[in-house]
Amino acid sequence: MILRLNTDIAAGGFGLAFAALLWLPRGEMGRLSIIFPRAILVLLTVVAVALIVKGLVRPGDRRIEITGSPRRLLVVAAGFFAWWVAIGQLGFLVSSLVAVFALVWYLARVAGPVSLVRLARWVPIILGLVVAFYLIFTQVLNVRLPTGLLI
Amino acid sequence: MEMLLEALASLMTFESLITVLVGVSAGLLIGSLPGLTATMALAVLLPFTFSMPPLQGLIALGAVYMGSIYGGAFTAILINTPGTPSSIATTFDGYPMARQGRAFEALAGATIASVIGGLVGVAFLLLLAPPLARWAVAFGPAEMFWVAMLGLTLVASLSSGSLLKGLLGGCVGMLLSTVGVSPVGGETRFTFGFPPLQGGIELIVALIGLFVIPELLTMAAEGKGALPQGDEFGKGEMRISRVARRVLGKPVNLIRSCLIGQIIAIIPGAGGNVTSLVAYNEARRFSRDPDSFGKGNLDGVVASESSNNVMVAGSMIPLLTLGIPGAPPDAIILGVLLLHGLRPGLDLFTETGVLTNGFILSMGLAALMLLPVGLLGAKLIYRVVIKTPYYFMVPFIAMVTMLGTFALRNSLLDVGIMLVLGTVGYFLRLIGIQAAPIVLGLILGGIAEEGYVQTMLAAVVDPIPWLRLVSNPLSKVLAGLVVLGAGTALLPMWLERSGRLRKASSGEEEKP
Repeated sequence: MILRLNTDIAAGGFGLAFAALLWLPRGEMGRLSIIFPRAILVLLTVVAVALIVKGLVRPGDRRIEITGSPRRLLVVAAGFFAWWVAIGQLGFLVSSLVAVFALVWYLARVAGPVSLVRLARWVPIILGLVVAFYLIFTQVLNVRLPTGLLI
Repeated sequence: MEMLLEALASLMTFESLITVLVGVSAGLLIGSLPGLTATMALAVLLPFTFSMPPLQGLIALGAVYMGSIYGGAFTAILINTPGTPSSIATTFDGYPMARQGRAFEALAGATIASVIGGLVGVAFLLLLAPPLARWAVAFGPAEMFWVAMLGLTLVASLSSGSLLKGLLGGCVGMLLSTVGVSPVGGETRFTFGFPPLQGGIELIVALIGLFVIPELLTMAAEGKGALPQGDEFGKGEMRISRVARRVLGKPVNLIRSCLIGQIIAIIPGAGGNVTSLVAYNEARRFSRDPDSFGKGNLDGVVASESSNNVMVAGSMIPLLTLGIPGAPPDAIILGVLLLHGLRPGLDLFTETGVLTNGFILSMGLAALMLLPVGLLGAKLIYRVVIKTPYYFMVPFIAMVTMLGTFALRNSLLDVGIMLVLGTVGYFLRLIGIQAAPIVLGLILGGIAEEGYVQTMLAAVVDPIPWLRLVSNPLSKVLAGLVVLGAGTALLPMWLERSGRLRKASSGEEEKP
């Protein structure tokens, strides 16, 4: 998908928004703690303004291209965040099994409908790999993974 | 010398040899996956080193690094897709060779060049790092500030086209480095009343997010793993000894490429992609037949692959001596060093000299291991990589990165930060703000801040405090280098804009 967007102005806008976000809480800090961030904030603001001016006077790219399906991109990104929330609520093992299975199914659908037989064939692969990683991290590497309501 | 022999002895154990073999193979596998960079290979495999002893962990990461840089050449040659950014220049001649049925010749040439490059890099590291480490103790806060600034001038080469956007990314990275407790004042900054943020943004969390997540989202959006099916390995291959004779028969090309790789590797922030492009350009410039480049000239592959493998060990010089990563993957190695309580500098070569030398020598061993692993396993690894469906790759890589991020500090918040940075990083990349300058800012921000604030503190009674930044000869030299570095970065842009320099082909632009 191709979107018409002045990337210089967009980048400058992002820089200004980020600078504003950090500019507001700076007043509560002592001199030694703020001296460096303040200098960088000023530099960031100058660069962002310069980008906006450049975007108006001599713009660079005026379009951005999202290769592939933007919908799939957003669904997968949202899926990652849902997975993260689910890890805290349900535990790593259960949430990862569900998330990996759902993502594999969703992404495999790009090439066409996924039959039940094919889905059934993936179950042992996904189960085996997720459980293997779970065991490696918990038993070998001694990492205490989140358990949540389940495991 | 005694330490070197002791290190060599500690390396000649079954565990170490197996670690190198497994590390090189794993690096080769990940490096050959398009989009998965050496940084990502290290980031993904990092958690597996947590439970290892320090030397074994470092050996594993060094081997993975070496293997992944070499592995990038596989897909670069076979399907014109650089597996890692370092192998961009390998595609220019490697792919035409593969299309001419000379895939084996190109792969064998790349392997031999990588082995030689890797060994040369290790030799440079052994020779240059100890004296540089002694010299590093002369670096006070002001000097470290200038070193950080010198690294930041490389934002220009990492920003792919727009210097302003690169600078903006660098500033964002430096500001991200200030989140948490201030290193000098001790106050909490930019946590927005959320106590868990007091720990700041862990470098590796940001690295994983900014490098891995955008690639996964791209693969998901495109709905393919970028690799077409088919076997282009070539059956009518020539003998390895004949390829070796051809590569070694042109020592000037090898030596020049290795020297270029080493010089650029010492400069903090310049990655293997920069070294291989420069070496390739110089090989073409000095060739008697420059027109054959881009049409299947083995010298082009040799120049690219030897220089980027020199960079693997070469970029450790600023890392081990000054704590400045010479390339993005080095940031992961720095994280592991710090994790084991090892601080870059002279102590690394004196108090923990056996460990440091063992790590350096293990990279030489990894370079040698590339030969059998690369030649015997190439076809098998290629088939595994090409036949793994992308719809399995995306969720499983995501799972491993989540596990790795969580395991760093047992923090689910870190996983969230990684996902947020990765998702934002994807959209920033769309508008031309690359991940590399942000990461460079994040790494160097802390160093610059500590140097700057400590210098200002020491100069509190001076009439003009900031003059303390250039009060001694070394800081003056470094400040001059910063100006020179910025000038050399800006000059080509100015020449290009004013039409005095032929515009570089878009294909030579750095891949993030």
